[in-house]
Amino acid sequence: MKLSTMWKEALGSLVQRPATEKYPFVRQEAPEHLRSKLHWDLEGCTGCSLCAKDCPANAIEIITIDKKAKRFVFHYYVDRCTFCGQCVASCNKDCIELVNNEWELAALDKDNFELYYGNDADVDSVLAEPAEADVEEPITA
Amino acid sequence: MTSNQLENFRIPIGPQHPALKEPGHFEFAVDGETVTDASVRLGYVHRGIEKGTEGRNYVQSMYLLERVCGICSHVHATAFALGVERLAKVEAPPRAQAIRVLVGELERIHSHMLWLGVAAHEAGFDLLFMYSWRDRETVMNLLENITGNRVNYSANLLGGVKCDITDQHEQEIRTGIDFLEERTAYYLDVVSNDAMFLRRTRGIGVMSPEAAEQLGVVGPTARASGVARDVRVDAPYAAYVDHPVNIVTETAGDLEARFKVRIKELFESYRLIRAILDNMPEGDLTTRMPRRVKPGETISRVEAPRGELFYYIKSNGTDTADRVKVRTPTLPNMGSVLALAVGHQFADMPMLLAGIDPCFSCNDRMVSINAPGGDTQQWTWEQLRQYGIEYYR
Repeated sequence: MKLSTMWKEALGSLVQRPATEKYPFVRQEAPEHLRSKLHWDLEGCTGCSLCAKDCPANAIEIITIDKKAKRFVFHYYVDRCTFCGQCVASCNKDCIELVNNEWELAALDKDNFELYYGNDADVDSVLAEPAEADVEEPITA
Repeated sequence: MTSNQLENFRIPIGPQHPALKEPGHFEFAVDGETVTDASVRLGYVHRGIEKGTEGRNYVQSMYLLERVCGICSHVHATAFALGVERLAKVEAPPRAQAIRVLVGELERIHSHMLWLGVAAHEAGFDLLFMYSWRDRETVMNLLENITGNRVNYSANLLGGVKCDITDQHEQEIRTGIDFLEERTAYYLDVVSNDAMFLRRTRGIGVMSPEAAEQLGVVGPTARASGVARDVRVDAPYAAYVDHPVNIVTETAGDLEARFKVRIKELFESYRLIRAILDNMPEGDLTTRMPRRVKPGETISRVEAPRGELFYYIKSNGTDTADRVKVRTPTLPNMGSVLALAVGHQFADMPMLLAGIDPCFSCNDRMVSINAPGGDTQQWTWEQLRQYGIEYYR
């Protein structure tokens, strides 16, 4: 038995640099596989909506403008997303990517948490429609 | 006060922060400083997760169940995925099974180091708390590099895993666990030899092997009392079939033994991780998984860092589970706190509670029984038994 086994460790730390990171003054590079904001590519999307069906957080909505012409708008709720990456795995056409460097997602305005991906004209047409009351459907058995 | 009032002097602890940062209500009857009786009330963080799975498909349910616990999230997803795969008669490829176990063992390291810090903090040993948590960052960073998230890694898919282990990952893991192994040896020395700390742990909360069997405790709490009980050994799953685990037990059964068992288990985890990296199978990460699962029922058991984690899954032919039942290891272990509290000093209670590594949010479940008459009511055990007999007649 010893008295105070950790004193050497504690004294040694006095002359060491702090273990904590100096964020936000120093930003570490994000790991290569970090999952942050979702990006969607219109090319290849068939509008199957598997990504939306499998999303555990209801963060994805595929709005079909014209299925034959493959015109879709991808409505993404950043604040609901849990960054699990299931949509990336579910997509058979590799249209979805979770990039690794857009992880600072805090915002003061709620509008920043809703993103629309797609052709500019289609996105404008979706935005021009009167917004539906955004009431989350209760999940019932 | 009269002597009768003194005998019934009860001290409530909680529901806010009884020891850890989670709610639970304890009542201790004390005679002076000595505890004479203890009771617990749980259920403050009931979230309806089991019910939640009934409105989600299997894929969505896996992520919901992963959030049963923020510390051992991966084992929850693994238990569910293994169960659903068994129902669907699908087996994940060997490489996926190995990665599941690898991430599971890294998670065990992170969980045990987190517990070491929390338990040290309960004992007033904040120096150990801060240094063990500083070193725990190493394994958190490894998990983040491999899976992409620091907590709730979402490494699993139904039918495989999402993340691969690249050569760079392998190098990082080896460097990381070399460092952690050195630090773990140091912490084992600290908890075994620090005179002040041993006053809080040695001979406190002694649980005999017989008592451990009787109380039905699981995981490191049971192993610290000499009960060799580990699902990874008793019913190996995933890559544990190819990589057997050497079970770690202690015989003393006190708090010191619980510290030693958990710290020694870390060395076993390091050995397993190296063995898996040395023999990582080649091949695919996923296999094809049907969206609808044929009717059936199964149980799935895995060894979470805190002990046996039990899942019961019933499928009905659709893409949604009919019933998912979860039993987390804190529930069987909680009884030991109440049984061991009697006769101890009141000041030992937070340490005794922290000794089982409780997770209150994980174990909160609700049972409501709909009587044939229509009203929800409570049934006695005998009524329930009779109902069961009639139901299957």
